[in-house]
Amino acid sequence: MSLSAHDDLITLGRDPIAPDALIRHVRQAHDGAVVTFDGCVRNHSHGRATFYLEYEAYESMALEKMREIAASLHTLFAIDSVAIAHRLGRLEIGETSVFIAVSAPHRKAAFEACRHAIDTLKKTVPIWKKEFFEDGAVWADGELPPVPAATPAVKPAS
Amino acid sequence: MQTRVLFFGKLKELTGAAEQSVELRSGATIADLFDRFSNETPALASYRSSVVASRNQEFAPWSTVLEPGDEIAFLPPVSGG
Repeated sequence: MSLSAHDDLITLGRDPIAPDALIRHVRQAHDGAVVTFDGCVRNHSHGRATFYLEYEAYESMALEKMREIAASLHTLFAIDSVAIAHRLGRLEIGETSVFIAVSAPHRKAAFEACRHAIDTLKKTVPIWKKEFFEDGAVWADGELPPVPAATPAVKPAS
Repeated sequence: MQTRVLFFGKLKELTGAAEQSVELRSGATIADLFDRFSNETPALASYRSSVVASRNQEFAPWSTVLEPGDEIAFLPPVSGG
């Protein structure tokens, strides 16, 4: 758990996520909107019935990447504060795996920032999901995070 | 030169270990490190194009030259959320 300069709340853990606490955390008197995203465990994947999921993470890096996402939201959108919680370990159908709450004086920024946060999280945060079916388990298809280009040996002419 | 290497997800299952410590020649790159594990575990090689690496918890290109004490991780496509 960590608090940033913006009073953001970023967590990664095995305990169930408490959305109400995250919403209360970001909702201040000067806010006119709180937009939330509740990512929950679906009971099917690619046409097969899912029994449960297991999440694992490169925990220290994942937390840092989640903090970077929150920090970037403050530079991209006119928002107040951000809460992002992601859960690890075994999750049952219907449970919340990720919850994001963004507060802002006006709704447009809150909607856009919340969407940006989940889209970026799914592409850049080192967390992996294993799907368990009746007849086996597979690691979910994922996205390969963008990697910075190699530093050129010779500085190109400008 | 001692390097700490971490594997996650499918890659951890293939290598059979989440974490290993290896001795490398100075000047070795992240690509050299992956090749070394691919020699030990040939199944890894076919995942090369769908793996990214990190150095000290930042995504890093394959050509990155390793420094003593680095923590390198090999990461399959991420699927959080």
